[in-house]
Amino acid sequence: MNTENIKTAWRRLKNNKFYTAVNVLGLTVSLATAILIILWVQDERSFDQFHHDHEQIYKVSAHMQTSESTAVWDGVPGPIAILAKDIPAVESATRVAYNWSAILVDNATKNQTEGKKIAYVDDSFFSIFHFPLLQGSVSTFLQNKQNILLTPETAIAVFGDENVVGKTVYWQEAPFTVTGLIDQAPQNSSITFDAIVPLSYYAAKFTEGGGNMHWKTIDEDLGNYAFNTYLKIQTNSSSPEIGTQLSNGYKKLRNGESSTLFSADLMSDLHLISADGNKSALRLVQVFTIVSLLLLAIGAVNYINLSTARSLERAKAVGIRKVIGASRTHLFLSFATETIIIFAIALLLAIVSVWALVPGYNAIAGKSLVFSLSNTTVWVYLGVAILVTLLLASIYPALQLTSFHVLKSLKGQSTKNSTSAMLRKGLVVFQFSISIILIIATLVIKQQLSYIRDKNLGYDKEQLFTVNLDWDAVQSYDAIRAELANSPAIENTALTGIYNIANHGEATGDLEWPGKDKNQSIIVTQASIDKNFIPLLNIEMLEGSNFTGLQSDSSSFIINEALAQQIGLKSPYVGQKLTFHDMEGTILGVVKDFHYKSLKEKIGPMIMWTHWYRGALYVKAKPNMAQQAIAAVEAQYKKYPTEFPFKYSFLDSQFDDLYKSDNRTGLLFNIFSGIAIFISVLGLFALTTYEAQIRIKEIGIRKVLGADVLGIIHLLSKDFILLVLIAIVIACPVAWYLMNEWLSSFSYRTSINISLFVIGGIMAVALAYITIGLRAMQAALANPVKSLRDE
Amino acid sequence: MIKITNLQKFYRTEEVETVALNDLNIHVQEGEFVAVMGPSGCGKSTLLNIIGLLDDLDEGSYVFNNVEVAKFNERKRSDLRKHNIGFVFQSFNLIDELTVFENVELPLIYTNVPAAERKKRVEEVLEKVQIMHRRNHFPQQLSGGQQQRVAVARAVVNNPKLILADEPTGNLDSSNGNEVMNLLTELNEAGTTIVMVTHSEHDAKFSDRVIRMLDGQVIMETTTV
Repeated sequence: MNTENIKTAWRRLKNNKFYTAVNVLGLTVSLATAILIILWVQDERSFDQFHHDHEQIYKVSAHMQTSESTAVWDGVPGPIAILAKDIPAVESATRVAYNWSAILVDNATKNQTEGKKIAYVDDSFFSIFHFPLLQGSVSTFLQNKQNILLTPETAIAVFGDENVVGKTVYWQEAPFTVTGLIDQAPQNSSITFDAIVPLSYYAAKFTEGGGNMHWKTIDEDLGNYAFNTYLKIQTNSSSPEIGTQLSNGYKKLRNGESSTLFSADLMSDLHLISADGNKSALRLVQVFTIVSLLLLAIGAVNYINLSTARSLERAKAVGIRKVIGASRTHLFLSFATETIIIFAIALLLAIVSVWALVPGYNAIAGKSLVFSLSNTTVWVYLGVAILVTLLLASIYPALQLTSFHVLKSLKGQSTKNSTSAMLRKGLVVFQFSISIILIIATLVIKQQLSYIRDKNLGYDKEQLFTVNLDWDAVQSYDAIRAELANSPAIENTALTGIYNIANHGEATGDLEWPGKDKNQSIIVTQASIDKNFIPLLNIEMLEGSNFTGLQSDSSSFIINEALAQQIGLKSPYVGQKLTFHDMEGTILGVVKDFHYKSLKEKIGPMIMWTHWYRGALYVKAKPNMAQQAIAAVEAQYKKYPTEFPFKYSFLDSQFDDLYKSDNRTGLLFNIFSGIAIFISVLGLFALTTYEAQIRIKEIGIRKVLGADVLGIIHLLSKDFILLVLIAIVIACPVAWYLMNEWLSSFSYRTSINISLFVIGGIMAVALAYITIGLRAMQAALANPVKSLRDE
Repeated sequence: MIKITNLQKFYRTEEVETVALNDLNIHVQEGEFVAVMGPSGCGKSTLLNIIGLLDDLDEGSYVFNNVEVAKFNERKRSDLRKHNIGFVFQSFNLIDELTVFENVELPLIYTNVPAAERKKRVEEVLEKVQIMHRRNHFPQQLSGGQQQRVAVARAVVNNPKLILADEPTGNLDSSNGNEVMNLLTELNEAGTTIVMVTHSEHDAKFSDRVIRMLDGQVIMETTTV
């Protein structure tokens, strides 16, 4: 590349503004999108890798085996960490437990902040993980169980500034000395917290509270799966072996009666491959990586197509240069220079666009990505991607152009035109195939999401909201209910232990029934409800009756169909005996299965009873009176002492939250397919423009001979439309296969309707036809005398 | 300088084989100014292209400066071409994106002449063809005569031993045409060998010798001086 090359290339680009603009625009859009996707992918892949020893840090999960399935739990009992310390390959083990909604108070000012997430951590936490302290030291923190570390944000929320070391903060009326300021966990950390307290505090409270049955310390308690347990293991040691050792150790502690298995999985892998082996997150990352590469390819294709198509124009200049003495290297460099300039401009614009788009993109993707020019990973990704694109986009056109025979190119003929025309057609087919696949994918995702939204969940969530009541309010629930019954805005209320019906996870294996096989075990979801719950949610009773509110309820169960089937009960179910948590009782009724979990999961067995604590108030508002209903509930809520502020949530939004990430994926796909189509159509537009330009004389002659406008449009569009049709034929089976794969992650899914392929195809053809038609019409309407005289 | 013997050149399509040049023999001495004339399709441009090593011959021998070049590969021809031969075309063939100066400079770039030397030589030759005042203009901004003077300047800037001109005045009016012919004559007088294809008897008079062709063969040679 020398100055002569740069100068010539720059002038050529300036003299051909339309094509330069098309090339730069196409490449900018594809590069910018690719960068945005890469940022997302990089973030997804970087989870928990900021810990210096991340390659040695493993997380323990519990696998509860039942005859039907395996449930995987994130937390494990406290003694697992103790067992792990005795395994030689384990360098150290640490436990983390959480309080998700703590209220921290500054007693001096009475200022308080709620909803804080407090992590209780073992002493070894700081030697395994990399969470640096901004002020104070770990050793001071570990000296007393009533010490606390605050993040800067929490410190400001409680005290108004960051100079908090030495101050006292109250939590649950106990004083904690702030011994340090800890940096906020990065957004790609699976461990997050607003404050940190020693686990010894938790342990002491546990013991003071009498423990759990015969277990008096958290180091003995085998029943509480509350501890996220992490191991730092020696390099080259086998994690499956450690899992087996933990399982065996646990079984021994359980006197040989346990089918629970434990696994140790690399912590930094768990974000993409969950402990139960589900790889859907990883697959999404892979799909996005591929999409980013395809977008780059589509952008590069535009460049290749335009340069080879326009090679005729350049053939003459190439011929002259060859006559004068240019070697192939000279010529190659001059083309490559042009490509590099276009890429440089596009890259610069792409970087600026990414900068501008990152905030909006974060909102859509639900991330807090930062685009920095010092992000080496992005540059490496991008460098490789650009280099490949650059090579693809410059080598072929350059080789093709430089291989022209001197004499023919001087006369403006190129020798290899038919090959390059074939290639061009192939690339247009490629572009449109990708676009059509993305269109169909978008349509299928959309259909599945609306299928979920509209699916009959087995209960009625309209106008329903929940409020979590504190202890005192629950004790006075009858009075609250009576008051609310007087509100003209409220239809009915119920009290239950189901805090989020879209995703209710309270499960147990503690169920016995007559004829149960000794080796058979089952995980059943449990819920405490009152007599109003089933009618309030309009859950269908298949057999028997609802709870009555009378004393007899206390020895009755209501089960769902799935439970009846799974334990092999014979109809009629009502009156059959069950033992649940050591309580004998009979089945009072059977409800039709309703979705209390994500539609990605099959409805599992469920049992409802009236025992145990219920803290979730369900309120059904009358139509258009939701605000008044909320106000009425709030008034009651405030009558009872609680440290928690009043909060309500509609069942609709709980439901939507569950599918947030799927909705995001859907939206991102919408955007990506839109971009792919835009770039492809842009390329087609430029190709048609060029076609019309070189065939202007032919069009003129045809018009003189009597061709009409439609005829000319047809002439220019028929070849391209054929290409789009071929693309449809290629894209449909691929899209069908890919989308079936995606849908298979949902237990309840829509079937792929043939109409989606028809819609996708029609959209592609229509877009192509409009694009070509616009240009063709211009050519067809031009005065033939003028175009003929141009010669 | 040029010694072509028993030259055969065919053009083949799938169905027919046309003889473009048939058993042709030509000698050009160093310092000569030769005009090649004949009706359209007689093979004179093909001959010029073969002399200029732009096209290859099917049979016969071509000795250039005592070297047999008929079997040269593309790289060797290109090398020989850029150091020894300058071309002037009927349609000028200037590069639109380059200024007058840059167009003339191009052959020197391809022969790796250092920048300072290039500038000196380009300016010299532009003075000679009297187009120095237009050095920063683009070809489209010049008249036909001016463009052809630039083309001549480009052809001679490397001091070639041989200039091949294919109807150099074909696109010019008579006064511009005469200017170009005078320029070629001056170059010839300074020692450059010139082979020119032309339709114009007027232009042919500037040469030392006229070769007349018909159907791929030389039918007559006349000396003009």
